[in-house]
Amino acid sequence: MNGPLIVQSDKTLLLEVDHERADACRRAIAPFAELERAPEHIHTYRVTPLGLWNARAAGHDAEQVVDALVEFSRYPVPHALLVDVAETMARYGRLTLSKHPTHGLVLTTTDRPVLEEILRSRKVQPLVGDRIDADTVAVHPSERGQIKQTLLKLGWPAEDLAGYVDGEAHRIDLAEDGWALRPYQQQAVEGFWHGGSGVVVLPCGAGKTLVGAGAMAKAKATTLILVTNTVSARQWKHELVKRTSLTEDEIGEYSGTKKEIRPVTIATYQVLTTRRKGVYPHLELFDSRDWGLIVYDEVHLLPAPVFKFTADLQARRRLGLTATLVREDGRESDVFSLIGPKRFDAPWKEIEAQGYIAPADCVEVRVNLTDAERLAYATAETEEKYRFCATTATKQKVAEALVRKFAGQQILVIGQYIDQLDELGEHLGAPVIKGETPNAQREKLFEAFRQGEISVLVVSKVANFSIDLPEATVAIQVSGTFGSRQEEAQRLGRVLRPKADGHQAHFYSVVARDTIDQDFAAHRQRFLAEQGYAYRIVDADELLAQDADPDLSGA
Amino acid sequence: MGTGELDREAHVAAGTEGNGGTAAPRTLAEALRTRGDEGLAALLRARPDLLVPVPGDLTQLATRAGTRASVVRALERLDRFTLQAAEALAVAPDPAPYRVLLGLMAGDEGDADIEAALPRAVGLLREQALVWGDDERLRLVRTARELLAPSPQHPSPTGLGPTVAEATAGMSPTRLQEIIATAGLSTTHDPVSAVAALTDLFTDRERMGALLDTAPVEALGVLDRLVWGPPYGEVTPDPTPPVRWLRDRGLLLPVTARTVVLPREAALHLRAGRAHRVPEPLAPAVTPSREYRPQVVDSTAAGQAYTALATVEELAKEWNEGGPAVLRAGGMSVRDLKRTATALDVTEQVAAFWLEVAYGAGLIAPDGEADERFAPTPAYDDWLALPAAERWARLAGAWLAATRAPGLVGSQDAKGRTLAALGPDLDRGAAPEVRRRVLTLLAGLPAGASPDPETLLARLRWERPLRGAARETGTDLRARLASWTLTEAELLGVTGRGALSAHGRALLPGAPAPGTDHPVAGHAPGHPRTATGHVPAPTAAEGSASDGRRAARAAVADHAGAAALLAPLMPEPVDHVLLQADLTAVAPGPLRRPLADTLAVLADVESKGGATVYRFTPASVRRALDAGQAAADLHAFLAAHSRTPVPQPLAYLIDDVARRHGHLRVGAASAYVRCDDDAVLGEILADKRSASLRLRRLAPTVLAAQADPAALLEGLRSMGFAPAAESAEGDVLITRAHAYRTPARTAPAPVPEGPPEPDTALLGAAVRAIRAGDLASTVVRKDESATPGGGGDGAPPRTSAAETLATVQAAAMTGSAVWIGYVTAEGAASQRVIAPVRVEGGFVTAYDHTADEVRTYPLHRITGVAELADDVT
Repeated sequence: MNGPLIVQSDKTLLLEVDHERADACRRAIAPFAELERAPEHIHTYRVTPLGLWNARAAGHDAEQVVDALVEFSRYPVPHALLVDVAETMARYGRLTLSKHPTHGLVLTTTDRPVLEEILRSRKVQPLVGDRIDADTVAVHPSERGQIKQTLLKLGWPAEDLAGYVDGEAHRIDLAEDGWALRPYQQQAVEGFWHGGSGVVVLPCGAGKTLVGAGAMAKAKATTLILVTNTVSARQWKHELVKRTSLTEDEIGEYSGTKKEIRPVTIATYQVLTTRRKGVYPHLELFDSRDWGLIVYDEVHLLPAPVFKFTADLQARRRLGLTATLVREDGRESDVFSLIGPKRFDAPWKEIEAQGYIAPADCVEVRVNLTDAERLAYATAETEEKYRFCATTATKQKVAEALVRKFAGQQILVIGQYIDQLDELGEHLGAPVIKGETPNAQREKLFEAFRQGEISVLVVSKVANFSIDLPEATVAIQVSGTFGSRQEEAQRLGRVLRPKADGHQAHFYSVVARDTIDQDFAAHRQRFLAEQGYAYRIVDADELLAQDADPDLSGA
Repeated sequence: MGTGELDREAHVAAGTEGNGGTAAPRTLAEALRTRGDEGLAALLRARPDLLVPVPGDLTQLATRAGTRASVVRALERLDRFTLQAAEALAVAPDPAPYRVLLGLMAGDEGDADIEAALPRAVGLLREQALVWGDDERLRLVRTARELLAPSPQHPSPTGLGPTVAEATAGMSPTRLQEIIATAGLSTTHDPVSAVAALTDLFTDRERMGALLDTAPVEALGVLDRLVWGPPYGEVTPDPTPPVRWLRDRGLLLPVTARTVVLPREAALHLRAGRAHRVPEPLAPAVTPSREYRPQVVDSTAAGQAYTALATVEELAKEWNEGGPAVLRAGGMSVRDLKRTATALDVTEQVAAFWLEVAYGAGLIAPDGEADERFAPTPAYDDWLALPAAERWARLAGAWLAATRAPGLVGSQDAKGRTLAALGPDLDRGAAPEVRRRVLTLLAGLPAGASPDPETLLARLRWERPLRGAARETGTDLRARLASWTLTEAELLGVTGRGALSAHGRALLPGAPAPGTDHPVAGHAPGHPRTATGHVPAPTAAEGSASDGRRAARAAVADHAGAAALLAPLMPEPVDHVLLQADLTAVAPGPLRRPLADTLAVLADVESKGGATVYRFTPASVRRALDAGQAAADLHAFLAAHSRTPVPQPLAYLIDDVARRHGHLRVGAASAYVRCDDDAVLGEILADKRSASLRLRRLAPTVLAAQADPAALLEGLRSMGFAPAAESAEGDVLITRAHAYRTPARTAPAPVPEGPPEPDTALLGAAVRAIRAGDLASTVVRKDESATPGGGGDGAPPRTSAAETLATVQAAAMTGSAVWIGYVTAEGAASQRVIAPVRVEGGFVTAYDHTADEVRTYPLHRITGVAELADDVT
């Protein structure tokens, strides 16, 4: 017994990554265990009911799970845990959703008491129709997603055998001229297609768009793509035209300004959730064509109304794409039950090791408030405190010092507060992109940045997602949306596109010491720290001292 | 049932009965008298309640063995087949020949298994003095017969009703005549011969068959419903024709106006002679449900054993500052149990188990103070110093022998009170025996095999069937104890994946070797039956009941073996951790204790199991600084114990916390805040949240507070500062964990049910004493005519003083024993058998066989002496 795995009593699995059998072990446990943390020496996986059920859905049985645990475990596996694994997995498949030739969608059971139990639940009652026989009950077709979600919460996940509609066929091929899908992208597409629906998690800059294109080429059907904003929609369109057989005319944009419906339509979440007189006028987009595939970009941002509507789309294939499946609202499980289980997940550091994303140096710079600021901070109202410490004047000095240090490289300065950004823009002599900047202006500035005409860009949270800025190598974050973990990850993602010369990216997060800014920063960094990004912490004084001493500054 | 039967069993009967051989005993006492010492010892071993107090003689022993309490106790300890045999005897004629009993058990067709198993059952009943008499005349002791025979109040487990004779006892002769006539028998006016004729008809298979052939189909249906019991049926005043048909022929006999009964003989005919629907001659086998490699079992169990130790240590650590309060009624409150369960990260039921294990091993106890609380005992510290495997053996040993049943915690007693963990009323006498029996059964399976729990329970039920009330209410304590044993053994690591581990096996001295399923309480079927029907008494090791307790004592001494087997399987403690940049540390195995203790202060435990995951937080680092460590110590500690370089963020964290740690200092008595940085004080004063502390600036660097220091500290921390408490001398107060202990406490002694298992010395002495007493009362004197006045049975001899002296002197010279009449100091007359050693100064010094010791008797108190017919020495 000298395996790489240690099974803990709280159902976490610790994998020693330097162990010679670590890779085999990772492959064996990946189908059922969720990678929770991936720091440098020991990776933590967690065995959850959801993970076990997904494994069952993918054709693994309890015996394989137990064997994998026992095989690689360094210490004896607690018997109770093995029993629990078997019992949990045995809950899957007692209920089945399927198509009945005469009754339509039906829920059948192999274990009558389970059906009785769930039918007594008040949450299930409105979702089901007539009892057809002792083991079968009709389900309203529109509630297919809802009932799956509800049953999952009740602990009796239903196996969905009702299948998918093919949708309106439309020829889509990948135009692999001089490039090809990377191996992990290929795996992600296969994993998704095999599972029918689900979520693919890839780090920022790892080419999620291509996974979407790959899935479309598999489906060869009309596709609805939902994205976060118009800039992102344009990027998708651009990429699809470049990478697939699709032409400009075949791709429609459905946003605040344009309302095109084409075989492939790219819509923004914002337009879908626009509400007029209590109704969502644009939700009918979902029904406007017989879509064969729906792609949800940045699925971790899926707004609540879309959630609700997605529940009605269970007969269509759904692909969710994200880099950071952490939601501060804790609705990850809704994503899993409505879009589908996680079909593919690649640790950031693994992709980095393969050279597809740039290695990054993450640094937290701690600045001290001045005495006057400390006094003011102490007296500030609670809701003002964060704003106060996040916009301290010292941060500006640090940002300026950093910009000087990395002069000549493409630098993004990212922040939350417009005043702060405006001020920074002024000091650095750099353009500022914020919410009120028109789309045309934004695209112009981004393009100028890409071309290297501008080397420093100050952006607000509008640039958090989906903005493809391959040349950015340094990001300086001066403030953020409180403790948002995914924002931090997304911002790091802006500089992770692999550099032409393979050099390192830099991510600086400037934080005010001994304030809630520091607490929020610790929380924000959690996701990346768990992905193995080790933040160095430096004092602003040190940094400024280097800056003042020209011998030490620059690189 | 003869009213004088008890007397007959106990005393010499006046007349002789029938055809018994000359050697045939006429009473239980006589039957016992014919036994060898080993036989008596076996009886006393199986029924130790008979030993308290030691009976005076065999007659007394026989009487005591026939008392209701003792018989009930003995019946409750019989295995199912033996009990079935006893039940069958209770519905058989008294006395019953062996072949009749066999017929009742095996039925008309016979059954090889039953034929093979019955001699053992009868032998066991004989050994336990529940049955006596030779194979021609088996007698069930009267009390047992009363307990087992059917009556309207207590239906027999056989489902048989009263005999024809009993059922017709009060019937008018005319009615009897009618029945006889209808049944086609020749009429007789004598009710006794009428009953006999009817009984003969019912017991004659051929004639009865012919009679039933004429029965209407519906009547047979009625019989079908009654045949396996209960044999009573309700009838209307105007019964249906089939019932009337049966009633007219005596196949149903009236009990009351509205009840009828199927007489026993008729039922037996319908059952083809069988007293039980399902005789169970063979103990159901315990079957394995899964087999694992023994190494897997051992290592799983060892892992769990390690967890057990860790859990108990964690529990004690949790209580170091003083544990939960003791309820007035004893035990722990439900809330405290919940809290403990949360702290241990287990369910309340499991938490109760660990509490009871620690309590049973004497590691925790109430402290006995006025405001009583639970706390670890000094014995805990001794225990902690032992090697891991020995620590485990202590726990497992205490668990095996404990009569407390943790599984009961949370359930309610008869008065509806919830049973509290560590509280009273958790003792169940059967617990140690059931535990041991379950483990012994596991030991009988092949190594690495885990049993099908159902078969295990079935086996236990066979060995100890439920009788009476317990069966009706369905509260099968033994089954619950058994299933608790399986769970608890797994928790403790006695078993691994359900199979008994090697170290678990070592806890059971005398356990069977793997793979030898062990027929209980006795003998393999097919035991040779001797001519007299005596089967050799089961040897001690095979008596399931006694097997438990004796072994329990032996086990205390044998922990060393278990510990030695376990030691190499325990995970080797590691002396390093892996530090990671996400501020976690992973100990890839159990840590050496000093290391674990320091780390537990410096970081919070995030995940437990084979490894431990620690997380460093500012609060945890501050805790370490509060405990008197300096930042440099912490850096050195981490560098020394980390296999990997200390990550920069962690080093920074420590420095950062240390930088601020103690920056603010708070006085205990005068409640002040001082700080070298007067801006900080200004900041505090300016902060609205400090208002409740009522701070006032004393000097640029000192603030005074009206709030007490604790509130002040709390307030400042909530404002985001890291103040340190300070003593009057200006030193930083160090908060360090210390270990609270009870005064010395002894572990609770097990409370076994019934008297303790007698050891060989006591048994030997008891047998000798009973024998001697018996000799004294029944011995045949050599020369009855020489002792006029002492002739009557049992009356002490009377001789003149000179004769007495001469006889005693002669006996002292020859070393033979004599029988004396003796008046005690209180004036009571008694008789004794003594072996005089010397006679001098008016005293006789002699070995008194009755008292089993050497005593001195004044000659003048000896009323008479007689020689014994045989030499008793």
